[in-house]
Amino acid sequence: MSEHHVVVENLVKTYPGAATPSVDHVSFALPKGEMLALLGPSGCGKTTILRMIAGLIEPTSGAIQLNGREISQTPVHKRNMGMVFQAYALFPHMTVAGNVAFGLEMRGVPNSERGPKVQRALDMVKLGHLGDRRVTQLSGGQQQRCAIARSLVIEPELLLLDEPLSNLDAKLRDEMRDEIREIQSRTGVTAIFVTHDQDEALSMADRLAVMSAGRIEQIGTPREIFDAPANEFVAGFIGAGNFLSGRVTAPGQAEIEGLGPLRFAAPASVGSRVQLMVRPHRFKLAAPGPNAFTGQVESLVYRGQILTLAITVGGRRLTADLHTHAGTLPAKGDTVTLAVAPGDVTFLSEAAA
Amino acid sequence: MSRTLWHFLIALLYLFLLAPILVVVIVSFDTRQYLAFPPESLSFGSYAKVFANQTFISAFGRSVMIGLAVGLAAVVIGTLLSMALVRYRFRGREGVNFLILAPFLVPHIVLAVGIMLVLAPMQLLDSYTGIILAHLGITVPYTVRTITMSLMSVDRRVEEAAMVHGATPFAVFRRITLPLIAPGLIAGGVIAFLISFDEATISLFIVSVKVSTLPTEIYNYLEVSTDPQIAALSVLLIAVSIVVVIAVEKLIGLRRAL
Ligand SMILES: Nc1ncnc2c1ncn2[C@@H]1O[C@H](COP(=O)(O)OP(=O)(O)OP(=O)(O)O)[C@@H](O)[C@H]1O
Ligand SMILES: [Mg+2]
Repeated sequence: MSEHHVVVENLVKTYPGAATPSVDHVSFALPKGEMLALLGPSGCGKTTILRMIAGLIEPTSGAIQLNGREISQTPVHKRNMGMVFQAYALFPHMTVAGNVAFGLEMRGVPNSERGPKVQRALDMVKLGHLGDRRVTQLSGGQQQRCAIARSLVIEPELLLLDEPLSNLDAKLRDEMRDEIREIQSRTGVTAIFVTHDQDEALSMADRLAVMSAGRIEQIGTPREIFDAPANEFVAGFIGAGNFLSGRVTAPGQAEIEGLGPLRFAAPASVGSRVQLMVRPHRFKLAAPGPNAFTGQVESLVYRGQILTLAITVGGRRLTADLHTHAGTLPAKGDTVTLAVAPGDVTFLSEAAA
Repeated sequence: MSRTLWHFLIALLYLFLLAPILVVVIVSFDTRQYLAFPPESLSFGSYAKVFANQTFISAFGRSVMIGLAVGLAAVVIGTLLSMALVRYRFRGREGVNFLILAPFLVPHIVLAVGIMLVLAPMQLLDSYTGIILAHLGITVPYTVRTITMSLMSVDRRVEEAAMVHGATPFAVFRRITLPLIAPGLIAGGVIAFLISFDEATISLFIVSVKVSTLPTEIYNYLEVSTDPQIAALSVLLIAVSIVVVIAVEKLIGLRRAL
């Protein structure tokens, strides 16, 4: 336990008057300097977890430890956290520099040290020249950077980010994504990052917790979550997938309804029902053969490097992402064969027949 | 066609509303020793007499002092009540809300009798404390209104951000909440000052000689004589109100523009 910087154990929050808990026995542990993304659909309890860690709301039960010390009873202002709010929540009556200096002032940092620290923090987020501006005169991206500088200048134990990118346009979002990641790894601050955008979570986080209805469905590295999703919810939430269910007819082989036999690389007892998934990018164009499905191209979307196509086989749709450099590309109405290697079939679950 | 008629009606309405004030302004320059309209000849004589009248001058001074004290106290009380009403869910909240509204609904003459009956046994009639308490009764509802409005427009997340970044509850109030509701405080304070400065009905029941205010002195003066001095005094009262309102408008307007 002690090697972990942040430990959350069996955290539960039931809002007054609510029938079901909004956060339901959530546990995770985070080593120093790591960035964890909380990912899940709207209303699954991400913000609630963050607010409990910050101390803005009280947990119904459970423990939150920072550096091995229980902080559930510590008042908000003594927890030494930095937080970037969804709508930034900058102090509207202060300048950019005033906003950033606030936390230092509250910590009694003398004026002479405050100035250089504020300037360094502003330079880090590329707002060095705008210190005297009022925050109401900043663009969305600048406000967001100001909020980041405000939360980092106090050198917090833990940085909490609640969908910090959701108010930005797509281009700025990509820029800020890289920037936050870079700042986080440069300062080595432990961070928890809330998002409902899977790209954001995959590209920014060291580890990922996928949530649904107040519970953590799976926690792991982006790679683990993407390649070995624990269940159908996680598989469907992170990336697209062709979900195939069938009956195991022989070791490593299942009969998929409407498609025929599919080989996969996972132990499952003969006769049981299995849920399998093939990611669209795992399909390749091939000649008819084992683990290949032939059908007519129903739709095509050209995305530059990738061509997404859907074929119908035996009344069902399979989607595939093909690299556009792969020779001649199929056209709509063509008959093509998509093949997948057994090792590329994701095994999700097994149930007795 | 109907538009011109409409404009004409509106102009007429304004004239109707402003006519008394216009008449008072014109009469204040009359040279005769009784109130009549229209005047025959004009001068600043009445104004000179007003400024030479020691009773009026000292009553004006007291009215300003009482108004300032009432404005300040009404803002402090209004802030505390508003914080409680906006930020906390407590039992009896609806009741407090209604009590604060009550002075809007009850005629001042009724309030005056009530306040007098309360203050008399406490020996507070004709004292600064008494008149200030009485004026607070009618001005606090206004400060609660304006401050509650300001408070409801303050984003809770901004206060939470201050808290997370190290501010104690008191520091949050001092550094975040207070500056953000300042326009409501100023507006409420000014309204309270003006109401106190103009109030006659309740004051007449509370004060007699020691802490008489300008409106009560005007009333006393009217009982014995009616001459253009009264008109001149009324114009000066109106002028004070207008100056205060314009000054604040400029002040807050300027702050907003920054
Ligand atoms: N103050 C509150 N009182 C009662 N219920 C609340 C409160 N705040 C949130 N909830 C409920 O708790 C659940 C989780 O809310 P939360 O804000 O944590 O979700 P979220 O995962 O952050 O969602 P989003 O992605 O939309 O921000 C929701 O069902 C919500 O309705
Ligand atoms: Mg949220």
